[in-house]
Amino acid sequence: MTGVWALLAVVVVVGAIGLLLRAREGRIRTAKPTGPALPGPVAALLHPAAPVTLVQLSTTFCTPCRQTRVLLADLAGRTGGLHHVDLDVTDLPEVAADLGVMRTPTTLALTSAGVEILRIGGVPKRDTLLAALRGYLPEEHPPATNG
Amino acid sequence: MVVDAPVDPRGPRFIASATAAVLVVALLTGWWPVLAAQALIFAASGFVSLGLNPWGRLYRLLVAPRLAPTAEREDAAPLRFAQGVGFAFALVGTVGYATGLTAVGVVATSFALVAALLNAAFNFCLGCEMYLLLRRFAPATVRQ
Repeated sequence: MTGVWALLAVVVVVGAIGLLLRAREGRIRTAKPTGPALPGPVAALLHPAAPVTLVQLSTTFCTPCRQTRVLLADLAGRTGGLHHVDLDVTDLPEVAADLGVMRTPTTLALTSAGVEILRIGGVPKRDTLLAALRGYLPEEHPPATNG
Repeated sequence: MVVDAPVDPRGPRFIASATAAVLVVALLTGWWPVLAAQALIFAASGFVSLGLNPWGRLYRLLVAPRLAPTAEREDAAPLRFAQGVGFAFALVGTVGYATGLTAVGVVATSFALVAALLNAAFNFCLGCEMYLLLRRFAPATVRQ
């Protein structure tokens, strides 16, 4: 009965992909020192005054992109020197290909000169991301929260 | 084509679970009408409106009223795209089973089941996140 074997294979594959995804979600990858040149549409988004610009690559067909957008916009709003932009690459697949991006959301952290610091696949984790960027951001205490 | 309003994010997960159950039945019985019915559902919700999905209707009618209401909403476009991808696999699978190419039917159904289970168990929408990858392998004419 091939169907039963196929079903077993499916369960194993789903389990493996699921665990892999869980491990990779929000993981930070530090960029190689000599990355490829930034594609034009991405370079145009760099904020000249902000030490770090987070360029989020999204598509219309991506569910976690919205969640990522909300999280990063909020983070950038509270963090001095951090700027966030969302780039819809639905119709710019060559931009994603040039950057070696295969899934969305992928977020690139870039310096104002366009040098890639790191990238995050999936929904970022706020604290780990901030910790990884600390060396690039101005020394500043976050605004005091009540309670 | 109808532009769907954003949906309660728990609905698609319910749809994915029900879809996975149908695909398991198709895989175990190898009876093509089961897969053909699912292909029809994929086509209706992917190409016409998500509101046509019977599992989505069941969710809104029976499940949602029993759950705490949520203000959270999810864009319908990714879900529609994923249903369209599901349709492609279900169609190939149906043709495979119906014409006696059982291996084709089994493989195509298995792929669709992997996507549905990933959505149901891990809340990961394969079709949505892999859009860029699909575009990369699309014919060069589409790119230009």
